Amino acid sequence: MNAMDPTEVFRQEASELFEVLEGALLDLGQRPDDRELVDSAFRALHTIKGSGAMFGFDKVASFTHEFETAFDRVRKGEIKPTQELISVALAAKDYIRALIEDPQSTDDIIGEAILDDLRRFVSSDQPAAPVVAIAEAPPLAPAESKQAGWHLYLEFESHILRNGSNPLDLLEDLCKLGPCFVVPVTDGIPFLDEMEPEDCYLKWDVKLHAACGKDAIDDVFMFVSDEMKLTLSPLEQVEAPAPMPLFQLLDEEPEPVAEIPAPVLEAVAVPVAAQPVAKAEPRSEPEPKHEAKHEPKPEAKSEAKRDERGIATVRVQAERLDELMDRVGELVIAQARLSQLAASGSDLSIKIIAEEIERLASSLRDTTMGARMVPIGSLFGRFRRLVHDLSRDLSKPVEFVTSGEDTELDKTMIECLADPLVHLIRNAIDHGIEDTATRAANGKSEQGRIELAAVHSGAQVLVTVKDNGGGLNTARIRAKAEEQGLIAAGAVLSDHEIHQFLFHPGFSTAQTISALSGRGVGMDVVKRTIENMRGSIDLTTRPGQGTTVTLRLPLTLAIIEGLLIRVGEGRYIIPLSAVEECVELTAEDERSRGRNFLNVRGNLVPFLRLRELLTASGTPDKHQKTIIISTGETRVGLVADQIIGNHQTVIKSLSKLHSDVTIFSGATILGDGTAALILDVAQLVTLAQSKVEKQHISEAA
Amino acid sequence: MNEGLAAQQQTGAMQVVMIGLGEEKFALDAGLVREIIDPVPVTKVAGARAFVPSVINVRGNVIPLADLRIRFGMPQPDNSADTRVVVIELELDGEPVLVGVTADKVYEVTEISQTDVQQTPRVGMHWKPEFIRFIAKWREEFVIVPNMERILN
Repeated sequence: MNAMDPTEVFRQEASELFEVLEGALLDLGQRPDDRELVDSAFRALHTIKGSGAMFGFDKVASFTHEFETAFDRVRKGEIKPTQELISVALAAKDYIRALIEDPQSTDDIIGEAILDDLRRFVSSDQPAAPVVAIAEAPPLAPAESKQAGWHLYLEFESHILRNGSNPLDLLEDLCKLGPCFVVPVTDGIPFLDEMEPEDCYLKWDVKLHAACGKDAIDDVFMFVSDEMKLTLSPLEQVEAPAPMPLFQLLDEEPEPVAEIPAPVLEAVAVPVAAQPVAKAEPRSEPEPKHEAKHEPKPEAKSEAKRDERGIATVRVQAERLDELMDRVGELVIAQARLSQLAASGSDLSIKIIAEEIERLASSLRDTTMGARMVPIGSLFGRFRRLVHDLSRDLSKPVEFVTSGEDTELDKTMIECLADPLVHLIRNAIDHGIEDTATRAANGKSEQGRIELAAVHSGAQVLVTVKDNGGGLNTARIRAKAEEQGLIAAGAVLSDHEIHQFLFHPGFSTAQTISALSGRGVGMDVVKRTIENMRGSIDLTTRPGQGTTVTLRLPLTLAIIEGLLIRVGEGRYIIPLSAVEECVELTAEDERSRGRNFLNVRGNLVPFLRLRELLTASGTPDKHQKTIIISTGETRVGLVADQIIGNHQTVIKSLSKLHSDVTIFSGATILGDGTAALILDVAQLVTLAQSKVEKQHISEAA
Repeated sequence: MNEGLAAQQQTGAMQVVMIGLGEEKFALDAGLVREIIDPVPVTKVAGARAFVPSVINVRGNVIPLADLRIRFGMPQPDNSADTRVVVIELELDGEPVLVGVTADKVYEVTEISQTDVQQTPRVGMHWKPEFIRFIAKWREEFVIVPNMERILN
């Protein structure tokens, strides 16, 4: 399709692997005994090493190798992953990331220091133990680097042929190192009717008469080292009997799933790293009775890989999805025009086709939107590191709980959400959670708690950040607001209104400015970002018990369901999510110019005449309609000439030249090809409120 | 933009689209013009600034429709058979923006010579001088090369 820079592919892949690795490491801090986490961290490391070497990131490969080596003892269960070890491991991970993303900025000294730290931690309890070599090459070939040759015993995993690796090529490469005497080992070959034609059953016994180093041999098998057993011994020694075949062939038989080069998929398919290994666990149980000899580690690993292969994912560039969405948007518009045309004519067959296309277009739209949906968990994962680091820096122990990770949101929204959530979580830890002493004094658990949750609610997604800290100090916010001249001293305001000042640019109640927060930039940015996404933000707080910030977000940015209305000549769209009900404006309400209130089942609802607001020309329709809209707690009626009906709307943003117009949030294209504007409900409500207030003032005067 | 101007001044010629607004002729830099279309139904934007009163649909994009005649204090007659919309692409605050411009008539794509550039006179003009890049002579007529960025900001 296109020639993507392979290095770029590696970078992308690596960045996903880093997420897996980081997640696993952080989890490991919580559950040090979880073997699956260790394994998943190890797998991620191993893949980074392998593909790093493949794409010429030699430094990455060698550093990761050292990291892996050090970590191997954790994997073998010889030492426990302590908090300190996790911290160093995280630092090591950051270093690898730097090596990949910006090699110039890194310094070998840093890497060495990290490795020293790592080695110190892993060997601290057993100072005598040497740093263990990697598993697949038992350290049989030590001191003598020059010798007569090597004795190799090669055993490939049976599925190696399906990966496109050819053992014969490898043997040929081996022969280039020097004269070889190769004997195939035919022990494990089954009967013809049991044989899988795509499996590799042969093993090889090779005597290599060359004075080459062990590295040269390892190089030959570099790309397949995961999928084979290589036993290496210097030739002068008395030839050890060949090790027993490690895999019973029957083990491999029931695995019909085709091999896919695993590394990439591994990362994509395993956002929650621990899961697949958990699934693999029961399956590896019957293993020991076949063969007691081999260590369980590679076994469990290959088992896990096999499970992941079931999930088929394709990596697609994000821009392509955006393009696809644009095309679908245009298709929806064109389809609306077709439907309108068909409805006005009398040709039955055209009507049938129009309906067919309508159905197809809408299902295509849903599919496309679905393809753009990403579980929010990918975002939540990032914050665990943030919380980990912050809680360490501020020495406030914090438990970080997430829920609803599989709630799906449009991918652009996920990207936009990252920064606001960072702000909110920082605030929660820095301002929300009290220090340990205060917490103890108030009879709270020493460890603070931050909950990050996402949940679907109708056509919206609610993302909440909840802490169990001290809550907002309403009096202090008020004092600060008075000090900054935002409110008059002594003005009567509800707590809710006072809390809104937190979203005011440059507003900060922090007594000292810390590195983290207190500069007063942040909350206003959060609010703006969320509102740009057509979302809203709610704040609730209970003194002494904590604060909850709720972000209400639409499911997608691209398409909304709208109510199409007519005001004078112009047609406008009101987002359906905001519409509560439609009522007819009674003649009495119509006549009254003094009061702009409706009586809706005993409740007072102010209304706005859209004709005035939108400066419509011509005479108003006889029976005016009122659409009651709501945002949060406020309800407002909008008076229009006609309600046309539902309309699916592809949102087009208004250009810069109209950025000063606030009552419209965007535009769309109607069936007849004309543009229609989308009313910004929140802005209209604000407008209504200010009008009501003005009215109150004039009444009072 | 400015580099382009410098380059043009060196070569001495500039490709323009000649449009008529009211009694005057304006020369739009041909490099800005994306397409010229027949008038389409417009959608009024309540509360917008007077010189960008509406939006139009151009190939699935909703773009603002600017009326230079308002900026130059000219009357705005109804659309005639000659009326066209010239779609131009501008850089506003570093972002490319498509804008439609109503023209009472579109004459031709032509070249004007930089050697014929006249200094914008300080007196005798009721237009804001910053709206005008320069005035050039074309077939014994004076044509105005407007500064679109200024006009639309």
